[in-house]
Formats: sequence, C-alpha cells, structure tokens
Amino acid sequence: MEYVSSLTGFRFDGRRPNEMRQIRGEIGVLAKADGSALFEMGNTKVIAAVFGPREVQNKSQQIDNQALVRCEYSMANFSTGDRARKPKGDRNIISYSADHGSKYINTFDASFSGKNLKQIDIFLQVLQADGGTRSACINAATLALADAGIPMRDIVTSCSAGYLCSTPLLDLNYVEDSAGGPDVTVGLLVKMDKMTLLQVIALMPTFFFFCCCICFVLLFV
Amino acid sequence: MKEILISLNQTQKVRLQAALQHLDELASQVSSANLAVTVADTIPVNNEDGILKGHGTTEFDGQVVATLCGIVERVNKLVYVRTLRARYKPEVGDIIVGRVIEIAPKRWRLEINFSQDAVLMLQSMNLPDGIQRRRTAVDELNMRSIFEENDVVCAEVRGFQHDGSLHLQARSQKYGKLERGQLLIIPAYLVKRRKQHFHHLEQYGVDLILGCNGFVWIGEHAEPIDSEVLEDRDKIPKDKHRDTPLEVRRNICRISNSVRLLSALGFALSVEAIVDTAEASKSSNVDIKDMLGAEFYVQTAEREVQRRASLLKKKRFV
Amino acid sequence: MLQSKSFVKKTKQGRVVKVVREHYLRDDIHCGAEICKVCQSSSVRLSSSASILIIDTNVVLHQIDLLENPAINNVIVLSVVLDEVRNRNMSVYNRMKALCTDAMKNFYVFSNEHHRDTYVKEMVGESPNDRNDRAIRFAARWYQSHLGEGTQILLITNDRENKRKAVEEGISAETIESYVRSLQQPNLLDLVVIPTSAVKEEIDDLRPLKRKAFYLEHKPMSEITSGLLHRIYHQGKLRVNRYNPFEAYVGSESIGDEIVIYGRVNMNRAFDEDVVAVELLPKDQWSGVKSFIAVDDDEDEEDDIHMVPSSADAPPRNTNVANGHSGSTPIISDRPVGRVIGIIKRNWDSYCGSLEPMPFPAGNGGAASALFVSKDRRIPKIRILTHQLGNLIDKRIIVTVDSWDCSSKYPSGHYVRTIGEIGDRDTESEVILIDNDINTRPFSVQVLACLPPLPWSLSVEDMANPHREDLRHLRVFSVDPPGCRDIDDALHCTTSANGNFEVGVHIADVTNFVYPGTPLDEEAAQRGTSVYLVEKRIDMLPKPLTEDICSLRADVERLAFSVIWEMTPNAEIISTKYTKSIIKSCAALSYIEAQARMDDSRMVDPVTTDLRNLNSLAKIMRQRRVDRGALTLASAEVKFQIDTETHDPLDIGMYQIREANQMIEEFMLAANVSVAEKILKHFPLCSLLRRHPTPTKEMLEPLVHTAASVGLDLDISTSKALADSLDHAVGDDPYFNKLIRILATRCMTQAVYFCSGDLAPAEFHHYGLASPLYTHFTSPIRRYADVMVHRLLAAALEIAKLPPVFLDGQRLTQLADNLNHRHRNAQMAGRASVELHTLIYFRKRPTDTEARIVKIKANGFIVFVPKFGIEGPVHLTAKGDKQGDWSVDAKGQTMTKAGTNTSYRTLQTVRIHLEVVEPQPHRPKLELTLI
Repeated sequence: MEYVSSLTGFRFDGRRPNEMRQIRGEIGVLAKADGSALFEMGNTKVIAAVFGPREVQNKSQQIDNQALVRCEYSMANFSTGDRARKPKGDRNIISYSADHGSKYINTFDASFSGKNLKQIDIFLQVLQADGGTRSACINAATLALADAGIPMRDIVTSCSAGYLCSTPLLDLNYVEDSAGGPDVTVGLLVKMDKMTLLQVIALMPTFFFFCCCICFVLLFV
Repeated sequence: MKEILISLNQTQKVRLQAALQHLDELASQVSSANLAVTVADTIPVNNEDGILKGHGTTEFDGQVVATLCGIVERVNKLVYVRTLRARYKPEVGDIIVGRVIEIAPKRWRLEINFSQDAVLMLQSMNLPDGIQRRRTAVDELNMRSIFEENDVVCAEVRGFQHDGSLHLQARSQKYGKLERGQLLIIPAYLVKRRKQHFHHLEQYGVDLILGCNGFVWIGEHAEPIDSEVLEDRDKIPKDKHRDTPLEVRRNICRISNSVRLLSALGFALSVEAIVDTAEASKSSNVDIKDMLGAEFYVQTAEREVQRRASLLKKKRFV
Repeated sequence: MLQSKSFVKKTKQGRVVKVVREHYLRDDIHCGAEICKVCQSSSVRLSSSASILIIDTNVVLHQIDLLENPAINNVIVLSVVLDEVRNRNMSVYNRMKALCTDAMKNFYVFSNEHHRDTYVKEMVGESPNDRNDRAIRFAARWYQSHLGEGTQILLITNDRENKRKAVEEGISAETIESYVRSLQQPNLLDLVVIPTSAVKEEIDDLRPLKRKAFYLEHKPMSEITSGLLHRIYHQGKLRVNRYNPFEAYVGSESIGDEIVIYGRVNMNRAFDEDVVAVELLPKDQWSGVKSFIAVDDDEDEEDDIHMVPSSADAPPRNTNVANGHSGSTPIISDRPVGRVIGIIKRNWDSYCGSLEPMPFPAGNGGAASALFVSKDRRIPKIRILTHQLGNLIDKRIIVTVDSWDCSSKYPSGHYVRTIGEIGDRDTESEVILIDNDINTRPFSVQVLACLPPLPWSLSVEDMANPHREDLRHLRVFSVDPPGCRDIDDALHCTTSANGNFEVGVHIADVTNFVYPGTPLDEEAAQRGTSVYLVEKRIDMLPKPLTEDICSLRADVERLAFSVIWEMTPNAEIISTKYTKSIIKSCAALSYIEAQARMDDSRMVDPVTTDLRNLNSLAKIMRQRRVDRGALTLASAEVKFQIDTETHDPLDIGMYQIREANQMIEEFMLAANVSVAEKILKHFPLCSLLRRHPTPTKEMLEPLVHTAASVGLDLDISTSKALADSLDHAVGDDPYFNKLIRILATRCMTQAVYFCSGDLAPAEFHHYGLASPLYTHFTSPIRRYADVMVHRLLAAALEIAKLPPVFLDGQRLTQLADNLNHRHRNAQMAGRASVELHTLIYFRKRPTDTEARIVKIKANGFIVFVPKFGIEGPVHLTAKGDKQGDWSVDAKGQTMTKAGTNTSYRTLQTVRIHLEVVEPQPHRPKLELTLI
C-alpha cells in the first residue's frame, strides 16, 4: 500500500508526512470528577477523569512518602469500526495501566508528596479509536490532572510517529497504524526537555528503529 | 462545571455570549491584571532576591515555575499560585459541611472534599445533653446515636495535628447534624470566606449553610436549641415525626436551584446572589423546575452583568 | 478544513463495518501551471504554450499506451483519477506513476480531493462514479477560472455522459479519438483503444447478418459464485500447454485434480494464467487427444482467407479445433474434462510478436485491421487496428489485449510499441526478455539509495565487529569462468600439523549490504535471480554491488560469509565452522588457468599446491557422493564465441567441463549441504531449502524404452541403481554415455525451492545429489534464495535477528514460489537466447553434421546434434501427410518405411543438413533435413 502518495506527497487523509491531525481539548467535561478532560486527535477521542488527591482507599496499597497513582484504561466497545473486540482485563490493558501510573508519579510536584498519603485515580476511556490512542490518553490525562489542580512539575505531551513507505510519518491514524510499520510513541516534558515515555513497536531491524527515532525527533522539534 | 446541560436556542446563545463577554470586560476593569499561568509556565519575579516560593510553584533552572494552573498571587516576598479549580484547602476556622463516612474509635471520619478525610473527635464535640464532661466509654458506644454514616454534619476546622491529619470541632449548638434539607456539592472556589456562613432566610423559612469546602446545605430552619430549653426534652422525639411543610420544601428547592444555577454559571456564591436569584425567579413567575431551563439561565447571566456593572459604577462614584 | 468521510464496507470476515476517516482540505496545493501567478510553486510542470489536458479515469485505464507516447503532454492528473485507477488496475497505476515522475513528460498530479476549492461532497443518491465524474468536471472548471481565459483547459473523456455534462457546464471536452485526430499524427491513432461498443456497432453496420456468437457467453458473476459454492463449477488458474495451445489445464482444489480443457471453444476466451470457473463436461465426453507431435509451428486452424479490414471475425472452419487434427485418435480418458464458463480474474498483459503477413489494403492511409501473432504460442492471435500497417509489418511489436467479445474469434487489442526489426539480434534478445517477464529496467533511485557510498572500502566498524573474523592472513583464491565479474565464492585450503586440512568456502557477504525490507531487498526478491543471456547479463543487484563491493576480487579486502571445515586427508569432515569474515583473495583464477596450474607439474607455488590438495579432496568427496547414488547428469550446454564488435556468434561448441569445474562444484555442494543442515536445525519450520523430487516411474519410462532399444537395461529403482546403470551404459562411441545422461536429465523434474514448514522432512530429499538436505548458499550475488539462506544462517549463529518475513509462512511460500518462477524464467530466457544465437549462427552457414535420433514420432523423428547442442524434428513425410507410409513399431522405438527395409531407430546416428528457413515470413526457424 502506498501510505504516502509518491506523486503528491500527501497521506490518505490529505496531511503531509510531518503534519499532525487536528487536535482539540476540553476540560471540565465531567461534573463529578475532580478533573476531567476530553481530548481529540483527529477521530481519536479520549475522555479522562481524575479523582483525588484523596484518601487511600485500600490502606495496604499505601507507599511511604509517595502518592498512590492508579490508572484505569478502557476502550469503549463502540470505539472501533467493529464493535466489542476484546474483553476487559486484556493483558495489554493491564500493562498499559501500570505504564501510565508509574509515569505520572515521576511528574508530580515534590510538595505534593509528604506525610499525607494520598491517592489519585485516573480513568481513561477511549471513545473513538483511530490510531494514536496512547498519545491521546496521555494528553487527555495531563489535561485532566491540570484541571484537577494537582501540582505537576511539567506538562506531559505525547505524540506518535511511524515509518512507512520510507517516509517518517507524524501522528499515525488507524489505517497507517495497522500497516505494520514500526511506530514510536513519545511522551515529552516540554519545559524540562525530558522524555518520560519512549515506546517502539516494530517488527523491523534496529536500523529502522534508529531511522524512525531520528526522524521522529526531527519532526517533533 | 457542566452540572446542568442546557440546550440554548440561537438567540439565547447570542445573549449568553454577549453577557459573558460583558462580564469578562468588567472583570478586566476591576482586577489589577493578575497573571494567569499554566503548568510549567515561568513566573516572572524580576530577579528579586529572597523570593519565597509558595504553593504551586517550584524552581527549575533558577526560575520560578508554576506547577498548577491558576492566578499568580504575591504577598510581599511570597509568590504562590492560586488554582482555579482544585479540591478544598482547609484553613483554621473554616466552616464546613461534611458527610460522615466512617465511625472509628472516639472519632468520626468525614468526607469534606479535601485530599484526605477530616477527623471529628468525640471530645471536640458538644454532647447532645450539652454538658461539658469527660467522655466515658458509654459515650463512645453511643457515638452512632449522635452521627451515623452518611449523616451530614456541619463543623469548624480546628487545625492540623502533628500527624498531618485534619481535625474538626463542633463545640457549638449551631454545629452538628443537619436534617431536613438538601446537600449540594459545588466547586469549593465558588464559596468565598465570609464572616457569616450560616444564613437564616426568614422569608423562606430556610437555613442556608455555605460550607467553605463547597458543600452547601439548604434545609428547613431549625431553632438552635439553647441549653435553657433543654429541659424540654420530649420536644425532640416529637420533632422527628413532624413533616416539613410543603411551602418550606418548595422554598428549599427554589434556593437549591438558585445555587445550582449560579454554580453552573460559575458565579461566586453569596447569600445575596442566591436570594436575588430566588427572588427574581419568584417575581417573574418562573417555576422551580424551570429555573434550570435555558431562558432563566440566560436571564441570570444578564442580571449578574447588571449587578456587577452597577457595583462598578458605585465604586467609581465613591 | 476538515471533512469527514464515512462509508460502509464489508470486512474479510463478512461483517459490515462503518468506516469513518478524516479528510483534510488544504489551501497550500498549487496548480502547477507556469502561467499562474497566484500559486508560488517550485514544481511547475505545466507549460502555458499548449492547452492543458485533464484526463478522465477511463482514458487512463484504457489509453495508457497512448499517454506514454511523448506526443501527449501537458496533462493534469487529478488525484481522484489516480485513486480510481489504482483500485481498478494496479499495473496501469504503476505505469501512470512512472509517467507522472518522468522528467521528460509534463504530467502534473493535482490533489483535487484535498484542495479546499475542488473538493466535492457526495450528494445523496449519487453513485461514487458519478461523484468522481463530477469532481473531475469541478476541478476542470476550477482550473479554467483559476488560470483565466488565456489558457485552454481541455477535458478528455470517453464517457459520453461526462462529456455532455462537461459541455453543458461550459468546459471544453473532447473524446480521446477526436483529440488525437486533432494532433495530426496518424501513427498515434494506433495507440488509441477503440471501445468495444464502438467496434461492435461498426460490425453491426457492415455485416449485420454474419454476426453470431462464437463463444458461449460468460456466466454472470453471481451465478459463478453460487455455482462455486455448490461445487457445480470449479475455480482455478488456467494453464495453457506450452506445446499445444489448444489444450489447457485448470488445477482445481475442489476436485483435487487437474481439469483438462480441449480447444479454444471450451477455453472460452480464457488466457493463460487467468483465474477461471470451469464446468465439468459429462463423462462420456472426456475424450483425450493423444499427444501428437507438433508438426507445424503454426496453428492448424489458420484460415486461408487473408484479413481484410473489419473482417477479422470470419467464422473458423471447424469449431472444435482439437478434433481437427486428423492424426489424433480420440480416447476416453479418466482425466476430468471441462469447459470454461466464466473468467474470475483476467491476466491480460502485453505480448511480443509480429503481425501476420497480409496483403496491403488498398489505401495505406486508413485504419487497417491486422492479426497479431504472439511469439508465445499459448496466446491466441490478437486483432489490432492500425494506421501504419506498412511500418509494422516487419517489426517485432508489443500488443495489449483490450477485450474479447463472444462474437469475435480473436481478442481485440491495440498496438503498444515497436521493439525493432524482426530477426535483428537486439530486437530478438529483448523479445526473449519480455517473453520471460524479466525485469530489465534500470534500478530505481530508491533502490540505488540503499547502496553503501562508493568507493566502498573496509571500515573500522567492520573490523571491530566481534562477529566478524579477520581471515585476511589466509591464502584465499577464487576459480570462475573466464571474464567473470561477479565472483561470489572463494576457497582456501591449509594443512594443519596433524595432517588434516582446513578447507574454507568464502561466500560474498551480500546481506551485509542488502538489509531486509529495503527497496533494494524488495527489488532483488522480485527479480529473484540474475539472468545470463549469451551476450549479456541482467543483474539481480545493482552493478556496484555485483561487480565491486560484493565481488570477491583479487587483492582487495572483502566481507565474506565463510564455512570452514576441518577435513582428514580422506575428506571426512571433522568439524564445521560458520562465521562472517574479512578475506583478501590473492588470485582470481579461471577454470582454464586453475586446470593448467594443476596439470603443470613444474608449478609448485603455494596456490597451486592448495589447488591440488583441494582437487584430491574433491575427488574423494565426489566419489563418495557418487557411491551414495548421486547422478552425474549432463546437459547440452553450448558455448558461443562472440564477435567483440558485432556481438554476432562466431563459433559454437559444447561447453567443456574440466576437473577444476568439478572441484569447485564439489566444495560448493558441500557448503550448501552444511548450511542446509545448520539452518534446518535452528529453524525447522522456516528454512528455505531446495529439493529435487524423485522422478516417478512414468517419467523415466521413455528413458528406459530408449535404452532398451539399444539393448541397455537401466535400473531405475533407486537413484543409486540408476547412477550405476548410467555409469555402465558405455556404447560404441564416446558420446553415447553422455547422450544417455542427457536423456536422463530430461526425465527429471526441476529442483525447486521450498519452505521447510510446508513439507514433511522425508520430502526434503534432493534426488539428483542424493542428499537428504540441500539449499543454495553459495551465490548470493546472483540468486536471491542464497540471500535468504544467508540471513537464516546469520540468525542461526545469532549474529543477526531473523527478519520477520521468515515467520510468515504464507509470505515465505510465496517468496519461494516466486524464486522458482524466476529461476525457471531465467533458464528459459537463457535457453531461448542460445537458440536465437544458434539461429543467427546458422543463418549464414548451412551445415551438414552428425546427429542422433532421440525420439521416434509418427511422421519423423527428433534428433539431437551433439556438436551444437541442438535438438529438432526431422520430417520424413510431407507436410499435411500425417503418417505417410512409415510405420512405427509397438514400443515406438523404430520406424520402417513400408515396402522397403529403410528403418530408423533411436540413438542411431544420422547425417543431417542444418539450414535456416522461413516457412512463414518473419518466423525463421532452423530446419533439419536428412541427407
């Protein structure tokens, strides 16, 4: 398949390789949550709800001098083209949750941790999946955390990129994502200029991975 | 806060837009251009020495950086960020409304929209009989007769203990269990700290408690029981079976809808504004259920514009 | 601006899914016109001097050959058109792509679908086709208003409705015919495909009475689908018999056997390799036609009426062509016989050939209908319409098929291009390449971009690589045919203290430069193998790799993949080591040189000593292999001496095999076997191996009969027995043994590549080499299979990761199939090239020579000319007379003329006369006649 037209240089949806999809974020979409956000990257739509900081509900989970961050990720059954694919509790989802949680702990303000042990719950639900759900989740969670007034050292932003048709592509949509090329998702702390997430999915030799990474960084900056 | 989802028609939309824009303009005239920041924004401190980094700030690369989204506030050398929206932050003396979630030895745990549960010790609580005495084991066993789980309680913030837990006290007759009314939970930042948080709206026969933590209680007026009348003991059980009059119940709903409306519009809650809104609804014959409708929603916004405009004029005049 | 596209589609599992896709509209797409002042574009492609053409999808799909002509220029290709073309026909799309990137042509691709002003939304109730047509008109109108009245925008469409609407909307529109006419270049008109409907009408006008269905109508697709489902019809790929174009086979999975189809009528317009639906005939009609020798090179059904314009559809003499051969005896066979009732997927392509000679029509100016005869006999004649008959008549041309109506005897097509004069050596060589589907296009820029920077030399990283052993101290040398530039193997041999030998086979490390998944790799996988013609070589890998970077030339440091054995003087392998290495070859010898060195007892230099050691080892290994039952087969390979100036063959002779050749061959075999064992051990399910199936008894039967006729008893029970009997088959003359071996080789099936996961281990056997395992490892420069094996071996040694393709069984099988296909094509091309050169050689030199009869046929026999490696029929009877007064004995091994005692038997030596004749114009062939 030709994901980037060699003649016009456009992708299927009319973007150039280094262009993102349209993004839209909205905060305070849920009344009952402490912080909430709806984040869209093109047709990918994720809603995030943050509860807390609040009392740790299961005392056995308390960690000394650290906030307990829990993250639950789910995909709505109607989020993909064909309904209800995987049952909940999928391996992918669990590892995903763990990923998120540990990632966020690192970005919290020092003033936040302390003697008062607290718990923060992040609930992420993908309402529409069109590639880049992970990035959209991270972005949505960041917005929701900011909305909840939880101190953070920096804003975590995320975007994915891939390598198809010998071209690095920014922000893959579902069609491009399922093309089987290598793709990389990066979470960045913009101010601190640090990376909190670097995830590569590739069935390709490392040579391509490097191509991909280099291109990605170029695109992102 | 999207507590109420309202579908506006086109003209209403335009009107609302105009009103909100007007409010923005008024606000910008009043406030002395406070700096709004988001997470990771640098707060300019003009290279002043000895700046104290307060809440919501941190240092990165020699700069003061915000860790919250909000308004930068400065008190002398102290720089801190006041968040726009966050959980309640207790201060000593705050009057709060909370809900009992757990009964522990010698204490109740209350949910007060803080990052941790508040503790109300048995000894920092006036007993129903009003007598100041040592709490006995019997008292401890009878705690549940005072407050049960899910009871709504009004109390005052006593302070933080050494272990970091927040303690409350209820050493007055005005504190205690709240009954016969509605509890509304609204964002804490809409309730400003005032001298008076207990309001008896006589024309409605309703008590209004604006808890600093964003818990608002609207209930039937209850006379504070003075210790002198305590002898009159059989009055209490009689009370229990009494029904709240329909008129009062209606009033409770009208007031609570006012609160809902104002909080949906994001206006600060003051007793004047609440009463104003309730009065306006009454005078323009708006049903209680229609108070949350589109038309009244827009009208309220417009009235708020007028109110603030006149306030501003007065100020200038002065 | 954002538009959302949503459509409903059916998945492979049959579920219906709604797909929503984003569609961004942009304002930064330029119009590409030179005259435009608004669009700042660096890539202006459209000049303002001529009118700008916008072409419709049907024009691209059907007139691609015309578009490729340089006369068509200044064209806007809308993205909507390109998309539609891609969905309909991938090969046209690729050609279109090449056109759009061609610097010589001014084709500009305009993304109208993503331009803010030219995007059109589908209206309710509008079919996608109508919407696309509207989009094209809309874009045309936008261009007109964008560029102003000064520039003429011309919409070219063959869709009447679209044209009418366009004119209504004020866009100038024309059909392709009228446009080409307006260009005033008559030869261009040949390239225009006339839609079948137009042709039909023409026929209707001229001969309304004569029009009748010639073939059965194809069944509608829905009926075919349900028929397949209910097993009434059978689906399969039609393969036409190479030697008899009226016989075809359809391999059907539902029956598990091949269905035979006799005659063009039953084939019902299907071409070779078409996927067809077949209906079985009733059992009593399962008559087979006994194989008869192709007496003629031409199709017998040829009618004697020469074509006059517009009358190509003359009804044939007899509809059942198979029965038309009087010499054949219909027998009831048990092979299922069927007929094609529908074509599921066409495999139409362009074909090489020439026009059938015909008298010139009265006026040379007008369009004339002519019949095109493909070189490939499997392809039926194709009717084309030409305006330049005079020019084409003696040319090799390429023709494409457009349609085949059931009322027409022949498919209709159109002229694509001329290759050159018939009989010209270059032309014919090109024809061979095209016929065998060999890609001779230069390597694309993307492919060349994958090459390492030149000049390449050994880098520090290579030396520091822990997996790469430095073997530069070894005395490595290579032995190859003279003039070999792509040296992919080299050897070394050292004696160790304990009297053992260390023998190393070093193979060019191609995978160090060709990474999996790169365009270079894909291209190489596609080509599969290098092709060797008599006068040239078509490389699988670009020249810098083939001749320099990978080639293990003398006195340069090169990367290699080595197999190193420790061997006893008895050639017993004690240990085997595989490693990537760096070598420096000290000598690149030719076979002749190597042989001379070994034979010259005065030479005692180290290289010669190594050679002798290797040779003695090789001899032992060879003997052992023969003992195991390996067949020493022979083929009639010939060698040409080519004139360096004219490239014409000067001399022709059998290829001589020396001891040195056998020595190298022996070590290569050993390396291949060692590698095969290693990779299979590590990857039992995804190794690429090569197997040679044991021939069945039936296959060997002709050999046994032939041998029996000369009193030779061949034991074919095992390969060992066969090898022994072949060894003992010593006749009265020195060539006898070789002849028998050549015949034996003919009976064998081809060795094939396969994926180890597809077959049971017992089937891995290589019959010819009598080896349980075999693969190709030693020629990665010229064979892609070896490249794959290199990767497997590297993965087995844990030097590199296994590329993902190996884990995809289906892909791997596909790859192996492609390699087999390419390999076969390359061999055929090589053979055809030899034939061509033989023909050229004998054109000027009619020769008398000795030949051996290899097969007796009803009306003559087939002889083999050992000296030139030629085989051909000798007719004893006149054409048309099928049997004459010759009778063939029961076993078919001798033939006797009635009433005389003149008889011929197989393997008899006869003297024949070789001469090039042209029985039919433009089809020269070598004729053998008995003296």
